[in-house]
Amino acid sequence: MAKNAVDSAVFVPKKKFSMKKTMKNNMGFFFILPWLIGFLVFRLYPFASSLVYSFTDFHLFNGINETGLMNYQEIFTSDKILKALKVTFKYSFITVPLKLTAALFIAYILNFKIKGVNLFRTAYYIPSILGGSVAIAVLWKAIFRDDGLVNTMLGFFGIEGPHWLSDPKYAIFIICLLRVWQFGSAMVIFLAALKNVPEELYEAASIDGAGKWRQFFKITVPMITPVIFYNLVTQLCQAFQEFNGPYIITHGGPRNSTTLMSLLVYNSAFQSHEMGLASAMAWVMFIIVMILTGIAFWSQKHWVYYSDSDGR
Amino acid sequence: MKKFKKVVALCLACTMVLSLAACGKKDSSSKNNTASTEEGSTEGSTEQVTIKLSWWGGDERHTATIDAVNKFMELNPDVKVEMDYGAWSGWEDKMSTAFYSSTAADVNQINWNWLTSFSSDGSVFLDLNTVKDTLDLSKFSQAALDQCVVADSLQAVPVSMTGRIFYFNKTTFEKAGIAVPTSLEELKAAGQTFKDTLGEDYYPLVLGEYDRMILMVYYLESVYGKNWVENGTLNYTNEEIQAGIEFIQSLEDAHVTPSIQTILGDGAESLDKNPKWMDGTYAGIFEWDSSATKFRDALNEGQEFVVGDYFKDMGEYQGGFSKVSLGFAISKNTKYPEQCARLINFLLNEDEGVAIMGSQRGIPLSASGLAYCQNNNLLDATVAEANSKILAWTQFQLDPTFEDAKLKGTDGVYYDAFQGLSYGEYDSAKTAKVLADGINDVLGK
Repeated sequence: MAKNAVDSAVFVPKKKFSMKKTMKNNMGFFFILPWLIGFLVFRLYPFASSLVYSFTDFHLFNGINETGLMNYQEIFTSDKILKALKVTFKYSFITVPLKLTAALFIAYILNFKIKGVNLFRTAYYIPSILGGSVAIAVLWKAIFRDDGLVNTMLGFFGIEGPHWLSDPKYAIFIICLLRVWQFGSAMVIFLAALKNVPEELYEAASIDGAGKWRQFFKITVPMITPVIFYNLVTQLCQAFQEFNGPYIITHGGPRNSTTLMSLLVYNSAFQSHEMGLASAMAWVMFIIVMILTGIAFWSQKHWVYYSDSDGR
Repeated sequence: MKKFKKVVALCLACTMVLSLAACGKKDSSSKNNTASTEEGSTEGSTEQVTIKLSWWGGDERHTATIDAVNKFMELNPDVKVEMDYGAWSGWEDKMSTAFYSSTAADVNQINWNWLTSFSSDGSVFLDLNTVKDTLDLSKFSQAALDQCVVADSLQAVPVSMTGRIFYFNKTTFEKAGIAVPTSLEELKAAGQTFKDTLGEDYYPLVLGEYDRMILMVYYLESVYGKNWVENGTLNYTNEEIQAGIEFIQSLEDAHVTPSIQTILGDGAESLDKNPKWMDGTYAGIFEWDSSATKFRDALNEGQEFVVGDYFKDMGEYQGGFSKVSLGFAISKNTKYPEQCARLINFLLNEDEGVAIMGSQRGIPLSASGLAYCQNNNLLDATVAEANSKILAWTQFQLDPTFEDAKLKGTDGVYYDAFQGLSYGEYDSAKTAKVLADGINDVLGK
């Protein structure tokens, strides 16, 4: 018995702690640690706490006095919030297709070997950098006010321009236009995708007598559908979160015709200090974007072509 | 080489993490320093402490305040004052989160309604009675100080009183061949005269949504002789409010003021930045006395800006209200209340500070500040004239909830009501109901 004990003591090696080995094994973790801390503190914690707050009447200066579904009830019964939801959908469904179309069209043109192409690429990208600035808001107002540039030009042709900024029918299109104008980043991604379309496909199509338009719709578009899909999803998410345009140009007016949900969330949170309601609105938006993204992912098997996974 | 790269990358990652920790460490160590300094100051130490002052305003106010603070630091070498300032736009949103998170400056320029909005239980601002040995409160009238008492605590010292009054561009009126109106009847007649002689675009008065609300209250107080809100209750029936709404609509109908759609179509950020105000196409405003210089200075050259009168034919009573325009408050969590009080006292009561500040925050309520300004001709003549007219005329009180963000904000009740009326979406009865319901909601009724 005693012998056995001695044997086991001899044959079972004791594990030694090795700092070097631990460091080596956890090297990857150390690399992502700064990001991880930021993510946990500035993303995950607010994300989770906003869900909790959405079921309370949390007011920044009055605290929590009630819990329940009242915020969600208010969202689906308040005319103002329902209108903002409607406007947000309208805004997204106008801007996303238009922006993608503009970006693809310009990228297609800039993909040709034309003189000064780099200058054009830079010029078309600049609005993406400037888009949300106050200077652009001032410029936009100067262009579209009643006696602004657009109406003055229309006046030369004897046309009385509409009240772009003050007519609820038109104001939404002004902030849509601002977003569509910022197509630069989507354009750059399209441009990269266009460069990856094999030249042989076009050569073969030309020999078969296909014209430029036919080549575009039958070769270019199918070959870049993964990038179109990527841009669609990212632009959709961004459109539903749009804030700067309506905030700095129209302040959500006139008659709440440009009040997007993000603006309402901001106003509820930081002007009225109703954090509970603001959190609930943010969560409703999150769920809507999740559903739309899910639909987009589901639909991709019908129209997105992945050349590296047996076609689809 | 591969190993070297890994080590370098690891070092960089660790440095980033440690730098975050270092930020926290620095903060806590500075807290320790400041705490010991405070302790030291009671023992007569001359070690410098740092406090922060925040305010909003225009460029002139910024320049004057910075100069005054620099003078204060020169005279008080034991106090260093950091400054945080900006334009009003977005300032309230920023400050509300700062107050909530206890990260606000030590001394804050505050709007009067912030006392009830942010510190209704006295948890955000210090009771200034605790520093009255340093801050000379005897220079202020008890009535003015009482307006800053919330939750039995004097949470701010009022800087000036303000109210709304008419201002006119005399040059445009002369161009139309009429004198600046002194009665409601003359104002209404001016609308038609402007249209006939100067053209469709010219108006004797321009009123935004919030201006309409305040003018309507002035009208109702003149007619009915009672406060808008009394003891936390809306003091007017829907029918009475409807009468006020119809009065405002009558001004639009009589070409006295442009429609909201016309004003929004001008594409200006605010009325003082509207080219039609600058060139005299809009020839009148109903504004705070403290805003007079902003509107006057915005006018193109060669135009005369004058202070109007309250209209005696508006009703039997002297309608309109005056209120504390703004004040200075000390954050409750400051470590240096004495130094903060010293700074406020310097800006409001002491000759050196008042000499630099002048009437940048309105006509001083401080008796010593006012006397110094008057003796040294530091008061802006237009602001002084407007302020004296307001204080002489107005007899009604304003409830702080009148300026609640849910009412006053751009998506608030006032904007909804008066835009709806002007756009023709609401009739007067519906507008009155929207207003009454929204106000009662804020009042918790």
